[in-house]
Amino acid sequence: MIQEIIAFIILILALAFLIRKFFFKKKSDKNCGSGDNCGCS
Amino acid sequence: MSLKNINVALIGNPNVGKTSVFNQLTGLNQQVGNYPGITVEKKMGFCKLPNNIKANILDLPGTYSLNASSIDESVVIELLLNKNDRLYPDVALVVTDVENLKRNLLLYTQIKDLEIPTILVINMADRMEHKGITLDIPYLEEHLKTKIALISSRKGHGIEELKNLIVSYKTISSEPCLNASSIDVEYFNSLRHAFPNQLLYKLWLVITQDVNFLNLERNEIHGSFTKSHSDLKRLQQKETIKRYQFINDVLKEGLKVDSSVAKDFRSKLDRVLTHKIWGYVIFFLILFVIFQSIFEWSKIPMDFIDSTFATLSTMASEHLPSGVLTNLISQGIIPGIGGILIFIPQIAFLFLFISLLEESGYMSRVVFLMDKIMRRFGLSGKSVVPLISGTACAIPAIMATRNIENWKERLITILVTPFTTCSARLPVYAIIIGLVIPDTYVLGILNIQGLTLMLLYVIGFGTAILAAYILNLILKVKGKTFFVVEMPNYKLPMFKNVAINVIEKTKAFVSGAGKIILAISVILWFLASYGPGKQFKNAEQIIKENTKAHPLSPTEFNNAVASQKLENSYIGLMGKTIEPVISPLGYDWKIGIAIISSFAAREVFVGTLATIYSVGGTDNETTIKNKMAAEVNPITGQKIFNFASGISLLLFYAFAMQCASTLAITKKETNSWKWPAGQLVFMSTLAYLVALIAFQILK
Repeated sequence: MIQEIIAFIILILALAFLIRKFFFKKKSDKNCGSGDNCGCS
Repeated sequence: MSLKNINVALIGNPNVGKTSVFNQLTGLNQQVGNYPGITVEKKMGFCKLPNNIKANILDLPGTYSLNASSIDESVVIELLLNKNDRLYPDVALVVTDVENLKRNLLLYTQIKDLEIPTILVINMADRMEHKGITLDIPYLEEHLKTKIALISSRKGHGIEELKNLIVSYKTISSEPCLNASSIDVEYFNSLRHAFPNQLLYKLWLVITQDVNFLNLERNEIHGSFTKSHSDLKRLQQKETIKRYQFINDVLKEGLKVDSSVAKDFRSKLDRVLTHKIWGYVIFFLILFVIFQSIFEWSKIPMDFIDSTFATLSTMASEHLPSGVLTNLISQGIIPGIGGILIFIPQIAFLFLFISLLEESGYMSRVVFLMDKIMRRFGLSGKSVVPLISGTACAIPAIMATRNIENWKERLITILVTPFTTCSARLPVYAIIIGLVIPDTYVLGILNIQGLTLMLLYVIGFGTAILAAYILNLILKVKGKTFFVVEMPNYKLPMFKNVAINVIEKTKAFVSGAGKIILAISVILWFLASYGPGKQFKNAEQIIKENTKAHPLSPTEFNNAVASQKLENSYIGLMGKTIEPVISPLGYDWKIGIAIISSFAAREVFVGTLATIYSVGGTDNETTIKNKMAAEVNPITGQKIFNFASGISLLLFYAFAMQCASTLAITKKETNSWKWPAGQLVFMSTLAYLVALIAFQILK
């Protein structure tokens, strides 16, 4: 039971991360310079 | 007879020999102090000129432009804006280096637009013959609206002529190079209307520069003409582009570089490396060595990482308490992470070579070399930089198109850059090539797998310029821009720089893609581990009934149940729905799911397959590669990853967009959804058709 709860929490976190990454992307003022791949993948 | 005093300001980019000119003019008559309130060194001196003129020479700190980014640069701007300053120059000497004239002239055009009498001092003239440089001085004087002193401060040549020019400074035109209004007609017209007695470019500098301009008008200007920081930046960029357009046009006629007559070692090396035949031969040989090495040197660390994660996965399932979380860890998370970490060696080697080429100065020669090809396809030489940067990632590459002045050339470059093979394609290529291309050698040294990888890079670049050619015809590009590239000196790459670049790029790849892959792996595992109907829930019962006549061994039975569950899981049902569309390409539903999930980022493809095969695969194979190699079509009995389907997949990924971030950046740079939508439709259709044709021919 505990395993299932933790697994589903991980699922929710994964979904939230992807939604935030692709649909609610933070706007950034900084220029993409060296070493920064500007959110690429 | 009393001497007439005039102020002369020496201005220029760093390292153009400005201080040598100062020393030549002033000799020992120098004073060194500080500017009030800051620790920037102030060097002044004087020299006696003909006609009883005494020139107070002020050696200003080196600056690249009048867009201040340091205290040194602010000092220059403050002096040039403030006519009340006792050091305000009667004449400005802008010192430039004959080898870097294009870059140096940006500052010249800005000083000139302040309508200060300006003399252009072209230094290091003694290097001209050595470098094969010729200047059309009358042409340059006419178009740059000034007098030019061609000098060699090192050898003391041309100093007397320079002194004579300073004496006659009043005869120099104060006409600006750039009409400031052209930066933003409406905005500048309103500025002109509000401040009819002020110089427009001076007003513009007061608005844009955070300098201590001791005058009330600054507040007035700011009050009425405030623009957002980003708007001001955009206008500054526009100004810089317009200045470089002007400089390019002037230098196209006024400066000729004939590398065939240059005599120094660098020029001799340049003659070979940028030769119309040998240049390309050497470039392709270097590419060949790079791709061979990527495959050869990466084998051992890749196998090590692959087997380590397979062992970890087995250990997790054996030692952790059985349950959903353990399954998620062993079948979803560990294979997902392994699916990205396995490619660290190849990514690191790729960036190691790219860094070495950049650091040594060779990359600029490649850009110059490729410029000749690009022009035939209707692109500017400046497009080469984004296209080559695209081998790392299309996002910064598309952003790098900002220095292309012509909008249509820039648009075309943005649209075709995603065709170049980015590092995210490398994992897909590497795993598929490893599966379907034999690890054999031609002529004893040419590894076929390395050759295939190189061919894919060539296909990517070739498609990009071919697409550019077609777009160029459709969009009817007019008004070409001229390409002037500054060739840095050759140097031994610095280990520290190379190491930092490799670590940074690899880290960005792993942390950027890794987080997405991990999240997608978790979701995929759930979709593959749960299903809606009885076919999923009663999988064991169904297999038992189906195999009553021919009972299976326990391992075979478990594998059959896992396969039955996977096919009827949520992901299985989704995959089966799209299977009719992708089966003509030689793919099964599992590959279809991997293609869909890798739309977020291409490298997700391998991680997805690793997760799917971990959930529904056999227990006999542990590593990702072995699981993929063992996958068989249940109907035909053929291997899923065979030569035909493998080539089809390689070509699909060579042409398909498959990158949400690239679409987002294209939208941002073009300010319209029209272009990324077109890009997506065109690239996806092309990828599908090419993959279809390849599979149908090869199957």
